[in-house]
Amino acid sequence: MRDIVKHGLILLIITTIAAFVLGLTNDVTQAIIVERAEQKNIESIKALLPEADEFQKVEGVAAGIILEVYEGTKGGNVVGYTVKTLPKGYGGTVETLVGISIDGKVVGLKIGEHTETPGLGSKVADAAFVNNFIGKDAIAFSVTKDAPAKDADIQAVSGATVSSNAVTTGVNASTELFNNSLKNR
Amino acid sequence: MNLGKVFSKGLIFDNPTFVQVLGMCPTLAVTTSAQNGLGMGLATTAVLIGSNLVISLTRKVIPSKIRIPAFVVIIATFVTMVGMLLKAYLPALDAALGIFIPLIVVNCIILARAESFASKNSVIASITDGLGMGLGFAGALVILGGIREFFGAGSIFGTPVMVDFFHPARIISQPPGAFLVLGLLLAIFNGITSKSRPGEK
Amino acid sequence: MEIFIILVSSILVNNFVLSRFLGICPFLGVSRQVETATGMGMAVTFVMAMAAFMTKLIQTHILERFEIEYMQTIAFILVIAALVQLVEMIVQKTSPTLYQSLGVYLPLITTNCAVLGLTILNINADYNLLYSVINAIAAAVGFSLAIVLFAAIRERIELFNVPEVFKGFPIALITASLMSLAFLGFAGLV
Repeated sequence: MRDIVKHGLILLIITTIAAFVLGLTNDVTQAIIVERAEQKNIESIKALLPEADEFQKVEGVAAGIILEVYEGTKGGNVVGYTVKTLPKGYGGTVETLVGISIDGKVVGLKIGEHTETPGLGSKVADAAFVNNFIGKDAIAFSVTKDAPAKDADIQAVSGATVSSNAVTTGVNASTELFNNSLKNR
Repeated sequence: MNLGKVFSKGLIFDNPTFVQVLGMCPTLAVTTSAQNGLGMGLATTAVLIGSNLVISLTRKVIPSKIRIPAFVVIIATFVTMVGMLLKAYLPALDAALGIFIPLIVVNCIILARAESFASKNSVIASITDGLGMGLGFAGALVILGGIREFFGAGSIFGTPVMVDFFHPARIISQPPGAFLVLGLLLAIFNGITSKSRPGEK
Repeated sequence: MEIFIILVSSILVNNFVLSRFLGICPFLGVSRQVETATGMGMAVTFVMAMAAFMTKLIQTHILERFEIEYMQTIAFILVIAALVQLVEMIVQKTSPTLYQSLGVYLPLITTNCAVLGLTILNINADYNLLYSVINAIAAAVGFSLAIVLFAAIRERIELFNVPEVFKGFPIALITASLMSLAFLGFAGLV
């Protein structure tokens, strides 16, 4: 019986030392990991709204599929907004990042993490599809299977209508947020 | 004890992969490229040296009845530390190795060295053993990863080396290729070692 | 529906042994006879289901609550080791016959990376408690399927004249390669 107590204590001491050492390592590495993640986030946002040189997180607008909104400024003047949305695609969620300039144009679109079918749905991340949105007015877009007839039409990636719809849903949520609240801030 | 002998034993004569056939899960899983093999090999080496060092230092304090759980905690601590450092300084490698970093804990090589060497030998010898075994493991992973990358993707360490008309056999990079290449390598190793000692059998 | 996808995915498409490379040691080591392979499969299924349940609770109620997620590896491996010990004791007390058939495999399960791997995969996939246990059972069934099929093939290989240098592990690995190739056919099912 005394042996069990003694052995338990020794194991407890070893585990405590282990926890202490790991706690210290964690403090050091966690700071680096967080900083790296933030830097990566800012970099990806910058690519969406190249005109801006400073970004500030907009609080209180995240709802539904909208995750994060940043306000981009240049020399103190607001030049646009970036919106990160997470619409549902074919194989899971499709991270859709949209940059909208203050004069109401879609200036940047990037597809982040997604689990769409490689070779089919994954094509929505390609420039060929993404460029359909760039430069257009921030309105509600709709996906068509045929050649686009008007500005709001976006031709779906062939064989990947669900994935194309997902991206469009993400963009529409962003433009709607911009038109309804962001531009009047 | 002859340190050179301890070192070369792990590196070649008692090679954890080709002779002892231990730690097969990471060996098969991460060797899609030479670089990943090297990363996993070095991460395992770091854990091996650390755990051998601490276990050798504490070998007189830890009662033999609880030595296995104690070893497991010590090994897990080093594995977690290596994982944190990789995440902070080499995020790309961390992403490539994924779940197989925490799984270094259950790599039989490490527990086997703790039990059969570090818990019975001096600190210096244990570190040497860890280094030899670790590098032997890393070497095997680089060979396996190199072969699979060469045939599966036509490159080595990420640099394309094959002529244009070579079409990489993707299957070698996929799971069946891992089993196949390792099986052939072990057969070749068997062939070499059985020829070098014809007297046995 | 999601449960069905988890089942198909973990048993066939992402088979633990043949496509995820988890649990290779017992796969190569304890698979010379169908009977022992079945015993190992049953023992692993039991431990995996229990481990998935326990580790999920520990993750949400201890590690996440106190923000010490970095203790995950240590906590999980200790839980698995303790669980294996506990299962061994209970089985020994309650059913000596079952202990006779499973006993020798139980200690080996602690270092079976399929168990620790599963618990970490479950946390990464953010499954709830029910899905964690279902995924554990599916993974264990996949493991058992692979190991039993493999044992059946190896029993036959024993009867054939394999070249000297291929005896033992090399021929086993090449057999595994062909099985893995067959399971690759399930890719894209979900």
